[in-house]
Amino acid sequence: MHDTEHTHPLQVPRRMQQQAVTLGAAQAEQFAATFEALASAVDTVVLGKQEVVRLALTAMFAEGHILLEDVPGTGKTTLARAIAAAVSGQWRRIQFTPDLLPSDVSGVTIFNQASGAFEFHPGPVFANIVIADEINRASPKTQSALLEVMEEGRVTVDGHPHSVPQPFLVVATQNPVEMDGTYRLPEAQLDRFLVKLSVGYPVEAAEIEVLRGTHQRSPEHLPPVLDTDTVAQMAELAKHVYIAEPLYAYLVQLANATRNHPQVAVGVSPRGLIALTRAASVFALSQGRTYIIPEDVKALAGPVFGHRIQLAPDAAMRGATGAAIVADAFEQVPVPLPASAA
Amino acid sequence: MSAEQQDARRQRRTRYRLRVATVAACLTLMCVLAGAVAARVYHGRLLVLLVAGAAVGAFAIGLALRNRPAFLAPGASAAGLAAYLLGAIALTSDGTEPLPVTVLDALANAVPRTLTALIPVEPAPDTVVVPVFLAWLAATLSCEFAIRYGRTLLGCLPATLLYAAGLYLVGPNADPGPLHGVAYCVLAAAALAVTAAPPERRPDRDATVDGPAPSKTPALMGAVLTTTVLLAAVALLGPVAARFVTSSPGDPREYVEPPRLTDIDLNPLVRIAEWAKYPEQELFKADTSADAWMRLAVLTEYDGTTWQATGDFRTAGTVVPGAGEPTYSADVEIIQLGGKLVPAAADPASVTDLPIAVNLHTKCLLTPDGLATGAKFHVDSALVTVDRAAAETARPDLSDATTVAVPPGTPEIMVTIADYIRAQYATPYERAQGLADFLSRHYAYDAEAPSGHDLPALGFFLGSAAEAGGQRGTSEQFAAAYAVIARLVGLPTRVVVGFDVPAGSSTVTAAQGLAWPEVAFDGPGWVRFDPMPAAGAVPTPPEDALEQMEEETPSPEEAEGGGDDAEDYNDDSLEQDGDFNEEAGQAESGLPVWVWYAAAALLLACVPLVFKARRALRRRRRLTRGTPAERVAGAWAEVLSEAARAGVKVPGHANAEEAAVRLAVLEADIGALPRLVNAAAFAPSALSEEDARTAVSIVAPFSRTIRHQVKWVRRFLT
Repeated sequence: MHDTEHTHPLQVPRRMQQQAVTLGAAQAEQFAATFEALASAVDTVVLGKQEVVRLALTAMFAEGHILLEDVPGTGKTTLARAIAAAVSGQWRRIQFTPDLLPSDVSGVTIFNQASGAFEFHPGPVFANIVIADEINRASPKTQSALLEVMEEGRVTVDGHPHSVPQPFLVVATQNPVEMDGTYRLPEAQLDRFLVKLSVGYPVEAAEIEVLRGTHQRSPEHLPPVLDTDTVAQMAELAKHVYIAEPLYAYLVQLANATRNHPQVAVGVSPRGLIALTRAASVFALSQGRTYIIPEDVKALAGPVFGHRIQLAPDAAMRGATGAAIVADAFEQVPVPLPASAA
Repeated sequence: MSAEQQDARRQRRTRYRLRVATVAACLTLMCVLAGAVAARVYHGRLLVLLVAGAAVGAFAIGLALRNRPAFLAPGASAAGLAAYLLGAIALTSDGTEPLPVTVLDALANAVPRTLTALIPVEPAPDTVVVPVFLAWLAATLSCEFAIRYGRTLLGCLPATLLYAAGLYLVGPNADPGPLHGVAYCVLAAAALAVTAAPPERRPDRDATVDGPAPSKTPALMGAVLTTTVLLAAVALLGPVAARFVTSSPGDPREYVEPPRLTDIDLNPLVRIAEWAKYPEQELFKADTSADAWMRLAVLTEYDGTTWQATGDFRTAGTVVPGAGEPTYSADVEIIQLGGKLVPAAADPASVTDLPIAVNLHTKCLLTPDGLATGAKFHVDSALVTVDRAAAETARPDLSDATTVAVPPGTPEIMVTIADYIRAQYATPYERAQGLADFLSRHYAYDAEAPSGHDLPALGFFLGSAAEAGGQRGTSEQFAAAYAVIARLVGLPTRVVVGFDVPAGSSTVTAAQGLAWPEVAFDGPGWVRFDPMPAAGAVPTPPEDALEQMEEETPSPEEAEGGGDDAEDYNDDSLEQDGDFNEEAGQAESGLPVWVWYAAAALLLACVPLVFKARRALRRRRRLTRGTPAERVAGAWAEVLSEAARAGVKVPGHANAEEAAVRLAVLEADIGALPRLVNAAAFAPSALSEEDARTAVSIVAPFSRTIRHQVKWVRRFLT
């Protein structure tokens, strides 16, 4: 019998949008295949970084924003541009500089003498994928211009709200080494990035391969694999991944472990916990699974929690990191596997 | 949360509370049992009630605060303990002193007095503080370990230490209590079988616990089996092990220094001469319920010079240990009776208004501060009734060598009289009575006779001519001479110094003070004999009777033969005793020793079989029962259990993939089990019967592969 509700294998049926229903294995497999196709396309440009690519795509399908932090020349911008190119939506790139104004990001209202009315000229933030290059070079005022749009998906100019197109993804990059003339991102803005990833240097074989084909592997040459509608459908599908009751307790205990850690001043917020759940849902689907398991949580906890943990001053001086705190938290919380209850 | 989940959680909470209640009840009863063990040396049942109250109180506080912060428990428990101790002290205090003074005195002296008070210990503020304190402390710690932290085995430790403290306090002063021990083991096993839950798994705390409730059936079954095997082993091995125990438990009361005696109390027999010389001297007033002989001292040891009491005096409360129901009472007011020895009819049961110490061998009393004029006290006694008819046919009780010991240098006249008595009378009782009759017939009472009861003095009393001052004396000489001669005859004797006190109110004078001999018979016990001449009787010289005996004796050999007859009588009795003991020994053993050892070995051999059977049953339950998800979980649990036996333990924070990495060192394939167990835990409905079969099929090959990596001890005992 023909199912009229299913216009696309990745589209969530209407009835599933209204009630919690377990996803079918076929949908999960379709999601995984699409995800893998997209990741493979990006892999052709960003060589030897399969894990980072998949984490970045996970954040995209979880409707979160990505902060790429690494030294110059490791491929941050290339990765951002490759993701943008692989998705056939609108994308813009903003090069953040100290003299960049908020209106340069969000847009400006100009009086049109011909029409005799004020007209809104959208800024570069009005795109499906916005690449905010070297975001920490802009002034805090300009950085904060991104806050509203990243959280709410709209820009308010002269008291009028303007929605950005959906899906909306900000891929920001920053250089952690060169600190002169930069403005450290405030904690509130860091919390709005779903994941913070470090690209890192490629392995030797991948680096040789990079040298061989520098001109052939430009993001500009990457054909789009998905359109924005499919991305939106996949993101909606990920919201219906099943999460078992014990996992909720497990996630909360993990967050509590970071909050109660002696080297931590401020632990993971409930927003961070929600972000981890969303990301884990996408990660599970990308593996062809319709339910989350602790392995998903562990794979994503570092990128999701790491930048949300504010270390105590003495711990920061001693070189402690958010990733180490997260690893400690995993050592403290028992996994709710049935063997422990038998 | 769905209605089913809420219902399941409610059921888990109910089951958890039942488990907590059971563990708490078992541990409370274990503390009460420890109190009951200690209470065997206490008078009455008050101590058991106090210890039970302390255990219940401590557990009530611990249970009420089990989900509160841990730091609250010590404060609340200490406050409860203080209140309860105050109540216990007020309950046991006699009210003669203000309560604060009583409390301070009890707290300052509780430990030494508890350890050294004479048995049965009178429940008083200073003797109940330590047991109540320890019971409360043990119950509090047990509750914290077992209920708050879910460590039942650790929770049994304080109760066990309390039990050991109770056994130490009792020492050798009570019969072994196997039932207490068995009951204690059963309670501990029950508590361990049920067990409370650790904090992270408590349904009534903040921690959320979902999924199927852990089954306690295997633990319960294992505990019952193990307890049964252990109890059987104890029951079978106990009698055998008891044979190797040759020493009694240590008694803390042995470390108490006994009260020191003055010369007059060490050898009260010398007071007889003084009393005889001044018979009108008023010693004490007595208001008694019946005619009785009130004893002052019992003298068993004779070294040829003085008669002395054996055994030490121990400080006692108002109750004298070992006495039956009082049948006689006396109110005594001291007038001129000096020394420390306290007059009382045998056997004293309780003394009020006078601090006393008691000689556990003779049941004689002593007051450490000495008797003072005007001192009043009340003494209740369980009068000893002697069955003389039984004594006539009884054998002498030769169990105490002290009572038949004769010092060297015995005067010839004593030996002669002893020979005469042996020749004239056949049975022990006839000889004892015959000797009393002999002395009363041939010797005279003389209040002016010189004092002394050493062997030369007794020789003078018995052998010197009447004209020279011999053959007359006071009860001192009569009793002492009787006791020595009777020992030569082979009868166990002792000398008692006391008073003949009539019923009703009277003033006891020195004329009523005298010494008398007693002979021990097997069965009737100590029998009093009266060697004193009747008032106004004229004695006949003993030489006539003794010479007549020598004439009748045909030859030394025959006389010796007559002696042999007497010795044979005693030897027969000894031999019969020996036979009796041998029979008793056989009755105790019942079966040859090798049977016991074989039974023990069989039981020990059963232990690993029990463990293996338990493991097999657990595996069968895990792999064959329940939904596919439960079977997959069971397979996972089996794999982890087998890996733990092989020495590879998976920590609780490891997820399935990490666990698989750890198990990889065993080089045994677990295939898709990590994926399946994740599905079982986090998407149970996604599993099919085929998945369950796949998971179950992994277990057996895994066990076989790693079997050689399991150490033989673990293989044997798990």
